[in-house]
Amino acid sequence: MKGNAANQWGPESGRNEALPLDADRRFTGRLVSIFGDNTGGTTILHYLVDLPGAGYGDFEYVVAGPVRSMTPVAPAASWHEREVHEQYGVEFIGHPHLRPLMRHSRFDSGLPSNGSTQEMEESQFLRVQGEGVCEIPVGPVHAGIIEPGHFRFSVVGDTVLHLQLRLFYTHKGTEKLFEGRVATDAVPIAESVSGDNCFAHAVAYCQAVEGVHQAIVPPKANAIRLIGLELERLLAHIGDLGALCGDVGFAVPAAYCARIKEDLLQASAKIVGTRYWRGVAVPGGVRHEIGSADGRELKESIRIAVEDFVGIAEQALRTPSLEDRFEGAGILAPNRAADLAVVGPVARACGIALDVRRDHPYGAYKNLNFDVPTWHYGDVMARARIRMMEVHASARLLLDYLEALPAGPIWLPLPAISTGRAFAAVEAPRGELVYWLRVEEGKIARCHVRSPSFQNWPALPFAVTGNIIADFPLINKSFNLSYSGCDR
Amino acid sequence: MITDVMFHSLRSRSQLIPVEDLIRDCAGSRMPEIIPELLTAPIAAAAAEVCPTRAITTDTPVEGGCALRLDYGKCIGCGRCVEVGDGAIRPAKRFSHSGVSRSELVQTWQTGSGVEAQAGEMHTSARDRVYALLGRALNIRQLDPGSCNGCEAEITALTNPYYDLERFGIHFVASPKHADMLLITGPVTRNMATAVQKTYEAVPLPKLVVAVGACGCSGGIFDRRNCPVGTLVNLNEEIIGPVDSLLPVHGYIPGCPPTPAMLVSGILEVLNRYTGRK
Repeated sequence: MKGNAANQWGPESGRNEALPLDADRRFTGRLVSIFGDNTGGTTILHYLVDLPGAGYGDFEYVVAGPVRSMTPVAPAASWHEREVHEQYGVEFIGHPHLRPLMRHSRFDSGLPSNGSTQEMEESQFLRVQGEGVCEIPVGPVHAGIIEPGHFRFSVVGDTVLHLQLRLFYTHKGTEKLFEGRVATDAVPIAESVSGDNCFAHAVAYCQAVEGVHQAIVPPKANAIRLIGLELERLLAHIGDLGALCGDVGFAVPAAYCARIKEDLLQASAKIVGTRYWRGVAVPGGVRHEIGSADGRELKESIRIAVEDFVGIAEQALRTPSLEDRFEGAGILAPNRAADLAVVGPVARACGIALDVRRDHPYGAYKNLNFDVPTWHYGDVMARARIRMMEVHASARLLLDYLEALPAGPIWLPLPAISTGRAFAAVEAPRGELVYWLRVEEGKIARCHVRSPSFQNWPALPFAVTGNIIADFPLINKSFNLSYSGCDR
Repeated sequence: MITDVMFHSLRSRSQLIPVEDLIRDCAGSRMPEIIPELLTAPIAAAAAEVCPTRAITTDTPVEGGCALRLDYGKCIGCGRCVEVGDGAIRPAKRFSHSGVSRSELVQTWQTGSGVEAQAGEMHTSARDRVYALLGRALNIRQLDPGSCNGCEAEITALTNPYYDLERFGIHFVASPKHADMLLITGPVTRNMATAVQKTYEAVPLPKLVVAVGACGCSGGIFDRRNCPVGTLVNLNEEIIGPVDSLLPVHGYIPGCPPTPAMLVSGILEVLNRYTGRK
């Protein structure tokens, strides 16, 4: 660090470029990710940040001993540092609790373990003590068709005093699985990181590969990618609003939204041969042509679906019994959201205008001008309203693009540059999704996936605390985070 | 207001797809189909070469040709074999391997002679017996021991007004203690192994286990045994393997993810086989 050290932060003094701090010694940028990489026996830390006015930056730091923790100046760093500690054995000085994140104690992880497995398991949870406090463990197997995760509630009566998450039950070592694969061949792995957002993952991965190869994607392929991405957003938001209605026992709009979502999935199956757009994106373009007749048909399906959806959802959100449950439930304060660097609809519902499509445009979004709608209050209703607004915005984009698809090829061969590094960000339905890739002679040497869910999960307990435990499913649903995307 | 919602609901028409149209339908699943007459040794070799999960393999050459082995349990429907298949491999429109045993997911064809060398045992049509067999209600507990949530999205679709699994008397229940069948998606991760075992133990007898999706059937893309030959693969110790590496499995529903129609066919097929036996 040089100059006015009080306003800067670096992993260790004098060794690398410093990151800016404000007067309260808080990181002024937005932390995107921290991850490790190993080249020739040296561990390198990457600090991926979004600095106001400067855009994305990838700050590197060679590890030579314990590293100063970034968590005190940017609380969002906490989970990232725990992950790096577990994967690379890096010690972070000043981190509040460097306990394992991904591998539960059944693993022989090689990390120092004090005491028995059972003790270690229990020591991971904060014990809330006092008269009338009781603990409610929930999961990992939940009561429904959902993914696994463990929630430890400490409650007094119905009120939640503290919620601690324990995730990573679906940790599949996916980042490791990428390594050694031919970079242009590994799209199916990216599609299996979070299956319901598989197209956003595929596109983000393809963009990273294209970044390494310095490839140019033809306009038609970019247009088809935009259609896939926005359709995925429509599906996610329509499904979420239906599920939110279902969670407060409002079955009719829930069934309606499920029906409308299915209409769109069937339209996709008919036009591109796959319900969730798996196998469509490929580095250099896309694999499926959308002709003008198909485009018109898809456009008509989307127009009808959105019209139906808006009709039912507007009525549902005006229903007093639903307003009573949605309003004021699960408030996430804007300062907490900013501290934890949350992304996507969760951030926008707290008034944080953040959207990769506008802030760091990619593909066809480079030619677009658009507003990022935000809402205030940060409660369940705000997160529902934000999704409504985004359905409108996505539908407008889709209808415009399907009206006049550009002509030309849908795929171009990649230039023969087979060694390099790149990262790419995409606005997935859940928010900013980042792929960072290092390719050596055509094969993947390191792939880091930062899903929006990884960034947003730590914010959930802050929204739940103080609410009644019966509202937890509703609040959790309003965040709608992917376990698999987070756990990888 | 709420009354508008009700009226809106009453005015709309039924979306229910008749069961006859669901059985064996696989539109949108991208499962491949082999046209035996067009299959040649170079096509078989090219398809095996591009397959990312070793679902397609070729066996030792026999009389100038070779045998193509297709394991639907490993297939993730990436469509690469269709691209190199030159008409001999195309996306299937009908699919009869849902809810069958593991060995029935594997088919082998002999190139050149155009014959199916060793077909899996083809099951009889479920269609005719569906209604007769489903006199009893079936309770399903869905369990995710590590899936990517693609299968969950499609299983959730089973409750929508198009598929409406409740019409057969099949319900999704919240507790394994209420369940007759476990519908298990995804590869089993090491972190979930204990929970999977405990959930299985909590299901009262008699119990059925159905493995769903390429990952559930074979570990799919996450199992290192399915990684293409020649790729340097890290030992993936986070994954234990497919569902049957931990539990006895009665039926397999392949696909990545299986479509709701394949799930309905598969669940009904397992019922067909196992309730008929009693």
